[in-house]
Amino acid sequence: MPSFKLDDKDIAFEPGDTIIRAAHRAGVDVPHYCWHPGLSVAANCRMCLVELMPPPGRPAMMLDVLEWDALHQTYVPQKKPKLQPACQQAAADGMVVKSQTSEHAVRARSAVQELLLLNHPVDCPICDQAGECRLQDYWLEHQASKKRMRDEPIHKPKGVVFGPTIVYDAERCIMCTRCVRVSAELAKDPVLSMRERGNLNEITVAPGRQLDHQYTLMTEYVCPVGALTSSDFRFKARVWFLRSARSTCVGCATGCSSFTDFDPRNQKVYRYRPRENAAVNKYWMCDEGMLDYQRIHQNRVLEARLKGEGVSDAVALEKAADLIKQASPQKTAILLSAEHSNEDNTALLDLGKALGALQIYYTGRPQGQGDDILMSADKNPNTAGVLALSGGKAKPFVDLVAALKEGKVGALIALGSAIGNPNDSAALKDAKNFVAFSTHYGPIADHAGVVLPASSWAEADGTFVNRTGLRQESDRAINPQGASRPAFRWVQELAKLLSLTLPWKKASELRALSQGTETSSPSPSVAPGAQ
Amino acid sequence: MEPLDQDLDASELELPTEPMLLNVGPAHPAMHGTVRIVMELSGEIIERCDVQVGYLHRGFEKMCERGTWTQVFPYVDRCNYVSPMLNNVGFALACEKMLGITVPDRCQYYRMILGELARMSDHLTCDGAMAMELGAFTPFLWMIKGREMVWEIMEEETGARLTHSFGRVGGMAAPPTEGFKEHTRAVVKHILTIVDEVERLLLGNRIFLDRLENVGVISADDAISLGWTGPCLRATGVPYDVRKAHPYMKYGEVDFDVPVGSASDSFDRFMVRLAEMRQSARIIEQCIERMADTGPVNVDDPRVILPPKEEVYNTIEGTIQHFKIVMEGLKLPAGEVYSYTEGGNGELGFYLVSDGSGTPHRVRIRPPCFLITAGLERVITGQMMADVVPSFGSLNMIGGECDR
Repeated sequence: MPSFKLDDKDIAFEPGDTIIRAAHRAGVDVPHYCWHPGLSVAANCRMCLVELMPPPGRPAMMLDVLEWDALHQTYVPQKKPKLQPACQQAAADGMVVKSQTSEHAVRARSAVQELLLLNHPVDCPICDQAGECRLQDYWLEHQASKKRMRDEPIHKPKGVVFGPTIVYDAERCIMCTRCVRVSAELAKDPVLSMRERGNLNEITVAPGRQLDHQYTLMTEYVCPVGALTSSDFRFKARVWFLRSARSTCVGCATGCSSFTDFDPRNQKVYRYRPRENAAVNKYWMCDEGMLDYQRIHQNRVLEARLKGEGVSDAVALEKAADLIKQASPQKTAILLSAEHSNEDNTALLDLGKALGALQIYYTGRPQGQGDDILMSADKNPNTAGVLALSGGKAKPFVDLVAALKEGKVGALIALGSAIGNPNDSAALKDAKNFVAFSTHYGPIADHAGVVLPASSWAEADGTFVNRTGLRQESDRAINPQGASRPAFRWVQELAKLLSLTLPWKKASELRALSQGTETSSPSPSVAPGAQ
Repeated sequence: MEPLDQDLDASELELPTEPMLLNVGPAHPAMHGTVRIVMELSGEIIERCDVQVGYLHRGFEKMCERGTWTQVFPYVDRCNYVSPMLNNVGFALACEKMLGITVPDRCQYYRMILGELARMSDHLTCDGAMAMELGAFTPFLWMIKGREMVWEIMEEETGARLTHSFGRVGGMAAPPTEGFKEHTRAVVKHILTIVDEVERLLLGNRIFLDRLENVGVISADDAISLGWTGPCLRATGVPYDVRKAHPYMKYGEVDFDVPVGSASDSFDRFMVRLAEMRQSARIIEQCIERMADTGPVNVDDPRVILPPKEEVYNTIEGTIQHFKIVMEGLKLPAGEVYSYTEGGNGELGFYLVSDGSGTPHRVRIRPPCFLITAGLERVITGQMMADVVPSFGSLNMIGGECDR
């Protein structure tokens, strides 16, 4: 493999790589604002300037410059090497590149940083980006000097509403055009552009349009400063109080790798962030997925319910056991849920097996919009997993509706909250001896005789199998809400009351049993540079 | 008078005796903080004893791992709370060693003056308390009066009498006040008078001398093997003083002597402390002469020093600098360091491990008192029970430093 030297470190590269991309892959960060591994090269921030040493025997390319001599109060003619942006410069074998070790590059970066802060407002205390802002990080790393400009900074529009999800602050903007490129290249909707010149530069939405494609929150995510803010996250939390859990988005069958950012003090989830995963979502997530965290706290079943009334866990369990005992095994039906993890579904399957139940069905959330970028029309994270676990025996919800009508179902034990077709909910009304483990209110929780509150995906470790058959683990972020418990724990309690033995006791044993034959996700890289 | 036992032979007179187990502390007023001594007495003689220090446990080294490096200062204040300024400066020097920065000369002299004042306050307290515990109350009151004057300077400079939290990585929280030099000169002069007067009051006092001389003796070898440093070690004749042996700040440039004892008893420890106060006065005078009246106190390094408030409120660069230092904490380069200074009771060492983040990975303090207290058992075994109090007092154990 060819390689070049960056600050005395050998970096291997593949033909066609730029210096910054090869360094990024090797875990060496060349400071940058506008470059993003998932976007085209703009080379406009000039932060990644590096010094290229001339090939042996050739002179360096030098520029004539006038240097200010503070001692004699005059400009002195000087020469300095022509620096190159590492994001655009193709790597060549044997090339010698100086980044932090080049005094010229270091000076240039300091000057770029100073320039970017020239007209920057004093906004850190009210800016959502504070704490994860490139300007703050790079000021300390590359500038660390005070303001020299005495003039009033240029003022530009603040709080410009770009669309339903994004608010723009032109004063904070450094014109890196990452948002412009995300819109054009990822969402294929070139709705953003730059107008004016020099310090009057600002990002603008195409006339007559709003920033309203399916990936608007990615513009905010790639913004290295606080110029674009999400109206959803705006002023809700300070990032240094948040902790992150490595999760998998459950918004659709794609299963994008994500971070769940939550506040451990009030046990609330505040946002998702994409987590780099070359096998699934690369660097991105769709708006629907990004905002899907809201469901963790909305419309949740937080207490055990008996015929629509809140009751204690013990009473509900007792009653649930009674209901299940009413029907013979032949007439007992199990309803799996593609919304839930392999663990929860395996537990319910095991319960069904122990009861001798012969009817297995599955359901999930209704179909939605899909696209050829990331979004799947199947809005369930684990359809493939459920089908694999049941060995293909699970029948779709329509069959359950038919069975209910024919009176073949004497008892129904259901996991999940939503059903594939909302029009079918009437059929559930007549279900007898109906026990459900639900996270949310919906057709299942509304019609079940006993509802046991299940924990959501953010409150338990879980495994999900995405549309390509990739098995991915999602880590717990917050504690179970209200009286909820992971569904497999309820199943365990219920089995105890029914004097049934399940083939597992601990969550780890259950997890081992719930592993299908699918390939598991290669551990995704979490290079911070992707931001 | 004829003996009472003339008709009895010796065996009949001997009462059956067994060693008495006596427990002192941990809450006994003579125990200088929460220390417990379990003694096995034969009559009045201590046959065996067990010194237990674990009753004060705040876990402050662990607490240091929670906040930023700057937030450690209040904790080190509470190690030796009789001379907190020495701890502040010692910790600041350790961090600065790791960062590879040196504070301006003005700050170094300022730190030395405040440090020597703190040393005086430490020694005044120890010697005063020793005298009081032997019944001499006047010297105690006089010396505490002197300490009070030191604390008034501290209050003027730092705003707090006792726990100043005044040190900063890269400088001090504030520059010297306007009247600092004058005030200090006056106080030092007064304290020297007190030292002379105390000497005159006590050194001709038979009781005082009898209670201290040849009591609580420890050999120089034992003291060294126990890890003793400071006045207690020097009382055994070993002239080890970090300020001389490994000069830091400007100690290499000022004239002072290292007083040593010869008999290594409680009396020598008392006298070494008196003599050290005079040396501290010499150091302070030289520092006052050399310290500039104007000029920067803090290093000019935006990585560690907070910007002035008007810059924080009016420029983005100042805001960012403030934000970075306050929210993330100043960052020490990844690595470890051992830095040591002469504290009130000996070598005060800081072993720091940084992982490069704004939060300490590990802070370990080598408190002189902990090691000295470890030798208490050897000092009092074989002594009379009544000698525990002055012997223990002469070691100047500070409870906060024995927090393990």
